[in-house]
Amino acid sequence: MTGYFKRKAEEYRALDQLDRRRYWVDGLLNNALYILMAVFIIFTAVVNKNFLSASSIANVVILAAASLPMALGIGGCIVLTGTDLSGGRVFGLTAAMAAAFLQNRMATKLIFEHLPNTTGAWIFAVLVIVMLAGAVIGLVNGFFVAKFSLHPFIVTLATQLITYGIILMFFQINGNGGGPISNVAQEFKNVVSGPVIRIASKNVSIPWYVIYAFLLVIVMWFVWNKTTFGKNMFAVGSNAEAARVSGVNVFKTTVMVHTLAGALYGFAGFVEAARLGSITAATGLNNECDAIAACVIGGVSFVGGTGNIGGIVVGVFVLRIIFVALNMLGINPNLQFIIKGAIILAACSLDMRKYLVRK
Amino acid sequence: MKKFLAIVLALAMVMSLGAVAFAAEEPDVSGLKVGVFWYAFSDAFLSTVRASLNEQLEEAGIDYDDFDANNTQATQLEQVQTAVTNGYNVLVVNLVTSGSADAAEQILQAAGDLPVIFFNRAVEGDGEEHTVLDAHENISFIGTDAPEAGHMQGQMIGEFLMENYDEVDLNGDGAISYAMFMGDAANVEAIYRTQFGVEDADAILTENGKPALVYFNESNTDKYQLDPNGAWSSAAAFDFMSTNLAEYSEANGNMIELVIANNDDMAIGAISALQAVGYNMGDGECTKIPVFGVDATQVAQDAIAADQMTGTVKQDNVGMAAAITGVLKGLAGESTMADAVSAVAESDEMFSVAEGFANKLFVAYAPFTA
Repeated sequence: MTGYFKRKAEEYRALDQLDRRRYWVDGLLNNALYILMAVFIIFTAVVNKNFLSASSIANVVILAAASLPMALGIGGCIVLTGTDLSGGRVFGLTAAMAAAFLQNRMATKLIFEHLPNTTGAWIFAVLVIVMLAGAVIGLVNGFFVAKFSLHPFIVTLATQLITYGIILMFFQINGNGGGPISNVAQEFKNVVSGPVIRIASKNVSIPWYVIYAFLLVIVMWFVWNKTTFGKNMFAVGSNAEAARVSGVNVFKTTVMVHTLAGALYGFAGFVEAARLGSITAATGLNNECDAIAACVIGGVSFVGGTGNIGGIVVGVFVLRIIFVALNMLGINPNLQFIIKGAIILAACSLDMRKYLVRK
Repeated sequence: MKKFLAIVLALAMVMSLGAVAFAAEEPDVSGLKVGVFWYAFSDAFLSTVRASLNEQLEEAGIDYDDFDANNTQATQLEQVQTAVTNGYNVLVVNLVTSGSADAAEQILQAAGDLPVIFFNRAVEGDGEEHTVLDAHENISFIGTDAPEAGHMQGQMIGEFLMENYDEVDLNGDGAISYAMFMGDAANVEAIYRTQFGVEDADAILTENGKPALVYFNESNTDKYQLDPNGAWSSAAAFDFMSTNLAEYSEANGNMIELVIANNDDMAIGAISALQAVGYNMGDGECTKIPVFGVDATQVAQDAIAADQMTGTVKQDNVGMAAAITGVLKGLAGESTMADAVSAVAESDEMFSVAEGFANKLFVAYAPFTA
């Protein structure tokens, strides 16, 4: 460790005046997001000391855990220079499915009347079902993108509309008439949104889905960094033609990235059903925008072929910290939009600057 | 041949006589082609109105089609324009931009001479009363008195607090701290509910010698938290409430003691957040923070029955649909719009014609606590 710093210090001493200045300016600009966030956090904490209390930090983690799966899914699509506009609606559909499949069997109004009792096996089966449902829509996205060389923006815009239509029909099942789907079984809540750790004295209660999100991050890190599929994804994202020439199956990789994304939206929807306990047809509206924002803030670039899981996690946290901090500061909602927009713009400009400098 | 013709003619005459006799009770609705324009199919309460209305229109044998503007006023205008060219002869419109006289005028311009029944979402904003409804012969509005739900919610809260004051005042400081969730900054119903839900409760409290409600977060001068998508969603309320609960708790002596939401969906979101930290489980053991909503959706009714929620204001979806169907039948019977409206108002005590209007029909709200 000391060797590393010594070497860095020697390198720095070897620089001339101009290069030294550039070293600091580049260093500042490349890490501007982190520096700004640090300033922002310190400022918030000074104004409102509760911001850094145990329960507040736990809250940020909990909110981030709920939006992580979606961002992890959409990140792959962005690495392929694409995007996925259908994400929010897939999330809404799978949340509705999970809620409908796991309603309290004693409830007076059920969407599906003949379903198994809420056992552990059935809860797991529903998880598989909704992830498969999400994966099917992802498969359709991937197929049209890869087969017809359509831009994902167009394909996923189309599937977003189609999925919304399916959602509206789903909410009409069994005389539900478009009302919210609710009365989610307690057994289901217990294993997803029920507390895994509870420290009453500190007012901290961590739900199970934080653990799941953590595991998911590890799995996705492995997929992105240690599997052939992950390496192929980055190869296709940087230069699809070059990847094809060097023997990567571009078609298969594209389809798989979108399918995996769909399955992750399914997972996110599953968590949402337990978390909220009441799902409406509007659930998931605009959710893909937050997920895309989190990815680009975390350095997953629309240039393609760059990004990492750690960055996505950072991006998700940045958005959630902003949400919580602006609320704790009591900032007017109108301004919150402007601040959030400015941060996304600044983060992406700084990100692109790195590539422009490199060229 | 002559004989045959005579029989046919006689038969036709008998049948037409029968039809006339029948019409005295049930108007002939076969000439109606009704377009129903909804602001958004995804809205939970209006979906229940849609289900009731579809059922009632089918029962009445009225030819109708539903259109979804998907929360965009421009889409709705285009749908109306298309419907007019497509031969619809009565338009039933759930305006997207609630409370905008201009948006309503545009719809009316597109509709030309056709009768238009606006419903649920206001066509005249604050200070614009009579500008639309009095300016046209052939139109009407069926909905709720916008401030009524807010008043009713506020009174319900005030009365509830007077009965349970010490129980609700968890930290015993003599004042009740509350959180308020607003559904949409641009919706007059939301604005009134946000205002009167607190004001009317305060009025009852101060009358009885108690201090007014205190918003839990001093630094938030708006005194409400707003769904950023204007979607009145449970997810928004959940995120806000869990953030609030991270800072405000019994351990810190500043727990939020009362939750007021503009609608039931947001109330349910807040309850989910409360449940995540061990409140409002409905098991009779844990502390229950009183949560109030509006709409009385099935979900909210279940939550109240399960002792997780305290009260809501029932907006009657079946009654709303019945009023629309009633006016449509009146129009088919060739009565004028005003006559059709007053006939419906007389048919049931839950309906009333708004004061100073001939064509504005109110469907009453009702408090719902059990």
